[in-house]
Amino acid sequence: MKSGAGNTRALCGAALLLSVLTALPALAVPSFARQTGMACEACHTVYPELTHFGRVFKANGYVLANLKQVRDVTAKKEQLLELAQTPPLSIMVQASYSQLSTTVPDLSQSAPGVAQNGTAGFPQQLSLFYAGKIAPHFGAFVQLTYANDSGTISIDNTDLRFADMMVLPSEQSLVYGISLNNNPTVQDLWNSTPAFGFPYASSNAVVSPLAGTEIDGGLAQDVAGLSGYLFWNESLYAEVGGYRSAKQGAANALTGAAGPLDGTASNVIEGVSPYWRVAYEYNHERHSIEAGLYGADFKLLPGASTGTPLRGPFNRFKDVAEDIQYQFIADEHQVTVAGTRIHENMSLDASFAATPAASANPKDDLTTTRLWATYYYRRKIGGTLGYFSTTGSGDAVLYPPNAAGGPGVVTSANGSPDTRGWIAEVNYLPWLNTKLTAQYVRYNKFNGASSNYDGAGRDASDNNAWYLLLWFAY
Amino acid sequence: MCMIDQQREYSVPPRRSRMVVVAGLLALGIGALGLARADAPDPATQAFAQRLAIGICGTCHGPHGNSGQPKFPRLAGQSANYLVAQLKNFRGQTRGDPDAIGYMWGMAAELDDPTIEALAKYYSSQQPLPGRAGDPALSARGREIYQHGIESEGVPACSSCHGPDGHGVADFPRLASQRSQYILKQLASFQSNMRNVAVMHGVAQNLRTNEMQAVAAYLEGRP
Repeated sequence: MKSGAGNTRALCGAALLLSVLTALPALAVPSFARQTGMACEACHTVYPELTHFGRVFKANGYVLANLKQVRDVTAKKEQLLELAQTPPLSIMVQASYSQLSTTVPDLSQSAPGVAQNGTAGFPQQLSLFYAGKIAPHFGAFVQLTYANDSGTISIDNTDLRFADMMVLPSEQSLVYGISLNNNPTVQDLWNSTPAFGFPYASSNAVVSPLAGTEIDGGLAQDVAGLSGYLFWNESLYAEVGGYRSAKQGAANALTGAAGPLDGTASNVIEGVSPYWRVAYEYNHERHSIEAGLYGADFKLLPGASTGTPLRGPFNRFKDVAEDIQYQFIADEHQVTVAGTRIHENMSLDASFAATPAASANPKDDLTTTRLWATYYYRRKIGGTLGYFSTTGSGDAVLYPPNAAGGPGVVTSANGSPDTRGWIAEVNYLPWLNTKLTAQYVRYNKFNGASSNYDGAGRDASDNNAWYLLLWFAY
Repeated sequence: MCMIDQQREYSVPPRRSRMVVVAGLLALGIGALGLARADAPDPATQAFAQRLAIGICGTCHGPHGNSGQPKFPRLAGQSANYLVAQLKNFRGQTRGDPDAIGYMWGMAAELDDPTIEALAKYYSSQQPLPGRAGDPALSARGREIYQHGIESEGVPACSSCHGPDGHGVADFPRLASQRSQYILKQLASFQSNMRNVAVMHGVAQNLRTNEMQAVAAYLEGRP
């Protein structure tokens, strides 16, 4: 058993971490407001949380446009072109300051020291969006992001949609569409699912736990998915689709080209991994409630993460999740309660068979629960209190212990993935497109324990962190 | 936002005396007759308008214009000419209450006249569902104000323009079964002149909040 390398779950964790760091959700794009001529409040309680109207706008492919268009039609009035006179572009900036309760060891010198505490992210993230209509039934949400941790610009959340609506004989609407996207659940309409769930922004300068499920951002920006959906009467939603790997920055070892993928890539989807989603929303007076299920079945070839070629046994991650969202939306007060619980069953045939083994067990499981409540007064000042928990079977290879004399921090002394805690934040929006946030994350348990979780003397509470954020988009 | 104060839905300047209010009501009535009458839209435009109504407008204004959300007005059974006038006011950005600015200025920006007329025809021909009956005592007070006004405060009877049953008269809008929250917000907007209609400013300027609530509760409960 080696620590540090050859660990599928650790790599997944790293991928999750990376995705969290580089893909902070940001479905709050002023170009949509410019395109529709409607204020943010039509589609958002407070960004990025969607209202019912925002969900319908998304389901319809981001194409609702109330701007003058450059048009072309055939003699039969067939629409050939509808272009807004200005492109639907936006920029978004997040500048932040993060401070851990206890900073981490400094690994730059052989003599032990500690890293500086208090990290300024300026910017933590800067994004350029194309968000809006492309053609009469074709729209896009494309995000290109510079992130300070990577120091590079890369593709971020992307959702291309074709959608149309038919009027049923009952005079109810049936929206049908196709989404081509790069992050499972980024196409979803509710904020209870992972891609656009709470926390809507978080620090990229703190310590993240080892364990996370695949559908919970583990494959974000690493896949291409095509799904078809139906949205009946703005209430019943059903979607099925499949995902293939779409690696960024990977190259074929032989040709140096973008593909075909080979054993130098890690966690490559074998075939097509199915994704599914059903949800029902009921609206009454100022109340909106949604309950749903979603899931996926990812078969991943570990490849480079276990030093094996892209063939043979694979690891299978079967994710099934429930989600619920309640909103009360009035002019003065906005209340949201939402959450999700994700169950993941892992069949780690590839990792277990690898030499050295990349998992201690042939099968493992994880359950992640998140629940949060948000209140805003006049969309101006508010806050969220959220609970999070991940529990699962212990696995001393997936969640490895500290090596002798190692720095710990990102290890688990008891091989347990269990992590839980709370997030509290207060927000002030001087204008609807500018948010100031003070967030505190408190861990009751981290990588399996409350105290000395890493075997190097670090407690879960040492990872508690303050996060101050300035977030605006234009 | 300063431009809001400069907007006019109608060109009658605000006045305070009751006599002028009544004169204004008459003037508005006469003026309103001159508003564009909805010619019958062609079938393709009417079908397009129905699609808009179901696929877009209905997301807020409810199925068939029977809004389920208090923020958004009911449009079912509303006077077609009133709807045409309002959509044109939204399009021209001359109606300045907050939700008009935030929602409808954008939504109506690119509507052409035939589509506006077809939308108005669609909603005016929908069957309004009964509204929610409010507190009986409050509604009784509202009925009194609606039918007879408040003599001592110079508030004329609403029924004189909107009809004894609240179904609207000529271009004066239907108010029966309208969402009470919407009526309250409109009265407040008339009072503050954010929605700058001289006649309604005159009517609403002396109304107290509890009197507005009473009228709104009464009207929402009217069939």
